[in-house]
Amino acid sequence: MSAKLSKMETSSPAELVFGLAKHPLNYGIGLDVGKGSVVPELKYFTRSASEGRTEGIKGEFVSITSDVLQRASELGLPALQLETEFTFVETSRPRMVGEIVIAQKDMLEKHCERFGTAAALRATIADMRDVRRKGLDPESRAKMMESFEAAASNGADVLSIESEGGKDVFNHAVIRQDLKGVLFALGVLAPIDMKRLWKDIVRVADKAGVVPGGDTACAFGNTAMRMADGVGQMTISHVFAAAVRAMSASRSLVAYEEGARGPGKDCAYENVVLKAITGFPMSMEGKTSASAHSSLVGNVAAACCDLWSNEQVPNVMLFGGTAPQVFLEILSYDVKLMNEAHRAKRAKEVADLLISSDKFSDPQAFVLAPDVAWQIGSAIVSEQDDAYRRTVAACRTALDMILDAKELNLSASERRFGLKLKDELMSMPSDVDQFIRDSLDEYRDKVETFRPRDYEL
Amino acid sequence: MASAGERAIAELRDKLVGLDFEGAKKAAQDALDAGVSPQKIVTGGIGEGMNIVGQKFEKSEYFLSELIVAGEVAKEVTQLLQPHLKGTQLKKLGKVVIGTVRGDLHDIGKNIVAMMLETAGFEVIDLGSDVPAENFVDAVKKHSPDIVGMSALLTVTMTEMATVIQQLKDSGVRKKVKVIVGGAPLTDDYAKSIGADAFGRDAVQGTEICKSWVAK
Repeated sequence: MSAKLSKMETSSPAELVFGLAKHPLNYGIGLDVGKGSVVPELKYFTRSASEGRTEGIKGEFVSITSDVLQRASELGLPALQLETEFTFVETSRPRMVGEIVIAQKDMLEKHCERFGTAAALRATIADMRDVRRKGLDPESRAKMMESFEAAASNGADVLSIESEGGKDVFNHAVIRQDLKGVLFALGVLAPIDMKRLWKDIVRVADKAGVVPGGDTACAFGNTAMRMADGVGQMTISHVFAAAVRAMSASRSLVAYEEGARGPGKDCAYENVVLKAITGFPMSMEGKTSASAHSSLVGNVAAACCDLWSNEQVPNVMLFGGTAPQVFLEILSYDVKLMNEAHRAKRAKEVADLLISSDKFSDPQAFVLAPDVAWQIGSAIVSEQDDAYRRTVAACRTALDMILDAKELNLSASERRFGLKLKDELMSMPSDVDQFIRDSLDEYRDKVETFRPRDYEL
Repeated sequence: MASAGERAIAELRDKLVGLDFEGAKKAAQDALDAGVSPQKIVTGGIGEGMNIVGQKFEKSEYFLSELIVAGEVAKEVTQLLQPHLKGTQLKKLGKVVIGTVRGDLHDIGKNIVAMMLETAGFEVIDLGSDVPAENFVDAVKKHSPDIVGMSALLTVTMTEMATVIQQLKDSGVRKKVKVIVGGAPLTDDYAKSIGADAFGRDAVQGTEICKSWVAK
């Protein structure tokens, strides 16, 4: 059932602290999330998948799970969540997805029974539609849904996806820092696609009695983040990347309006905004995701996480064990500190340090600071009517706050570009139908794979 | 006082620097209408404008993305002028076959390099993403490029570059092309270890390397 979120579930940014959510969840094998403690969420990538092999995949997942549970017991972890993010190869084989989930869940249950641990398994299904080459291909969508069903009916506790509706238009736009194209992708196309997709995902989750987690704008916000790259890099503006992050919150909110309940997926850095709006617990990644990619938001991203993740790590050997074992240990110590901060009633103090250590080092970190994210969230819900207007509002608020924040010390080029974006935003029509009319022909001409009919436009 | 033609050329240059597609095309048309030769529009308007944009990028005033858009403005204006450039085809610097290797769908980095190469004056044959090694070999045989460019974003897919280079060798075409590789996880040492001729740290450096190769 879809319901527009027209008010903030949290009453102030002060409520955005790690380990605490307005609407905590209990799922899996006795796992509480957002109820006063942070839980490590480990993600891993098989060697079989990296070598393009289909044989041996299940065996390797079993081996990874065995390794990490061994380390979990050695560390005395009271709680953990595993995330298995299925590749295209695996998602195209729903039976294999089901078998992997059964095997992992069985191992988790035995581990929990033996050690008294709380645990859960998140299954993330790949968006196989390959938007950049085939548009929103219905056959691939059907296969994805089969894999969701296989995961849900065989023991996955949380369902997630990194959906890519609008990605082809976005890719065209982000290279050119074309605000109109980004707005069209994040404010019109992705929400149309997500609305339909999440109706089905929630239906599958409800039928199996599992949690519909959330969607991530990884293909959008993180693409911009990686293009912006490190301090002083000049591929695209960091102000632009921060604005894309803010806009992606409006897009990812659609999943929650269709019934997702969190915890949102780790690579959705926009989860700070989504936690502020929905009150649902969120998974985040930051410094611990340096195993997968660099970022300028490593500490601030932890400030209000409920699950703390490593994004992705290949199953290779390191001096200290397998990489998944090593990253579970790194996550567990971060989480231990955050949970000790709660016990000592100093969580807000620790969260504030995580925020202040990053906040003014880059506009992308700035928009993830809870006070800024909360304002972006407020702007989004103040526009009840449509996703486009919400996306414009998110962008406007982010730009206004970035350009007003003297402590950011924006370079001349960043300030120039931020002001240019503001001007462009002002020139966008307030009416979504007008905006769609203006955009349809332009992007149909410019983006070969974009088919308006995929979005019923 | 500047003539109408000179004013139109200056306007074209400014519009190109301002990344204004329609404004630049209108200025180019105004220059043609004022009797300015197409060659002069190319050198005085487009060429000068691109030089200014390039300088702004070097001084960190413009982003790489703006350099790319300026290249697209220049391309559209050149297309407008093409019918007037009778018998004076703009010579290409060289030909590049480019693609993201098999198993890797990340195409933004490759697209940026392709656009930069086009802006620099190369003919670019873009094979897309998730390109099997045999497609690189077939494209080399079909198009006889000067350069093959490969991109990968993932540590797990970058190894495919070695496969492509090996297949180029096996097909007897490796010595006919220079090979440049790029992508976030790559290093100079890795490029050397798989037998590539160069590693492009970013699109700007990659384009400069390609230009240096065809200048020899």
